[in-house]
Amino acid sequence: MKRAELIFQSIALITLAVAFILFWNFGKGMSFVENGLLSDTTATDSYAVLQENLNRMIPVLLGSILLSVAIAFYLEEYLVRTNWKYQIIARQIVILASIPSLLYGLLGLYFFVFQSEKGSFFTHALTVVLLVMPRTIQSTQRAIRGVDISIREAAFALGAKKWRVIVDHVFPHAFSAIMAGIFTVISRALAVAALIIVVYVWTKHTLQSGDTFYIPGSAIVLLLSSLLSSVFSSFLEAKTNCT
Amino acid sequence: MKNKIEISELKVHYGDTPALNGVSFDVYENEILGIIGPAQSGKTTLLKVINRTLEFTQDTTVEGSVKLDGVDINSIGDVHGLRRRIGMVLPLPVGLPLSIYDNVAFAPRTAGMRKKAELDVIVERCLQQAALWDEVKDRLDSLGTKLSGGQQQRLTIARALSHQPEVLCLDEFSIAVDPITTMRIEDVLKTLKNEMTILLVTNLVQQAKRLANRTAFMLNGDLIEIDNTDVIFSENPSNQATYDYVNGNFG
Repeated sequence: MKRAELIFQSIALITLAVAFILFWNFGKGMSFVENGLLSDTTATDSYAVLQENLNRMIPVLLGSILLSVAIAFYLEEYLVRTNWKYQIIARQIVILASIPSLLYGLLGLYFFVFQSEKGSFFTHALTVVLLVMPRTIQSTQRAIRGVDISIREAAFALGAKKWRVIVDHVFPHAFSAIMAGIFTVISRALAVAALIIVVYVWTKHTLQSGDTFYIPGSAIVLLLSSLLSSVFSSFLEAKTNCT
Repeated sequence: MKNKIEISELKVHYGDTPALNGVSFDVYENEILGIIGPAQSGKTTLLKVINRTLEFTQDTTVEGSVKLDGVDINSIGDVHGLRRRIGMVLPLPVGLPLSIYDNVAFAPRTAGMRKKAELDVIVERCLQQAALWDEVKDRLDSLGTKLSGGQQQRLTIARALSHQPEVLCLDEFSIAVDPITTMRIEDVLKTLKNEMTILLVTNLVQQAKRLANRTAFMLNGDLIEIDNTDVIFSENPSNQATYDYVNGNFG
């Protein structure tokens, strides 16, 4: 095994272990990061907010990802690229995907934190959707285009219908690349969520109380999860390049 | 002899680039028609038009007509059924991400066959015809893509035979197969000729000489000459370019 690969895998395992410990402790309500680093109730509140939002947003996140993959397959397999529908949809996706994640985060922050005390489900979901869908669609489109045309031709030449070709051949070939793209997007989403929490805590508590700036434990958990997601993405991408 | 395929004034363009310039000829039932010619002469394009897989290449225009048993292929509504009638083997093996068994059973299943006993018979027959059965009979559940290049190409041939096509298009099938196996497959093709019509595109002119009843010579999208193989490979074909090509003076 190459040294770089060994280091990479070690980082991944350490990250996984740390993330697990953090989640486990938070799960028990002990919150040792809060006690050790922060010793403040606001930070614990931030974790409660995070937990509540995660419970609500995970279904939205999964739904957005599934919908994005479906849209990407529709665009690539059922529309011709010169078709006006393809052109319009593809252009909007490119515009939305090119907006930095940070701006979506600030948008979310504005609606979640400053416009309402807890934020509404709709504004939460809208931010997640805007953050996740364009990039997932783009990465899935790239994965589908990466499947060699000869695979499709071979299957079509056997009399297979389009649906069978997609399900039996294109999807399995593109799967690793699709998952790599999804993990990259999740990683970015988690990082942005961490940013929102940090800004939330600073604006709601630190600046008012005059305390020194600190990083809430929940943001650390999100950042570590983001890193872990990036690691998974890299593994899957390497696997895609190997096959 | 009965015409199986009738090609009339077939023109194909990839964008602005011409690939076929008004090609016309007939293919007889139960013959092996060898199609030879250097690269870019339109051989593969011709096969793709016949089984309508050219439709997946964007920005192509096709003019003229191709008839199968007297029916224009573009008027056939069930394109999937048409492709099952016209089997295709591509130059490089394309292993579908399925087991060896499922690779061969794929086409019959898409045609609606579900009974395992029937599929078992088809899989064994096709793998035997493709000279692969002895090598894989104990590992039919293994992934087809894990086979060697030559074995994968024979798997591709078995797959093309699995839907019992009326016409079998072979596009340089032996490019990834060793000479011994090539000879075994050629023997199979000679027997298959009784059941189906075979279009053999090949860069190996000697392979056309060994197998084909008639041979067509194509050059830069034009059909230069089509005649009995004996005539094409004689000292006196109709066209000097044919003589030069089959004797290795160019190409």
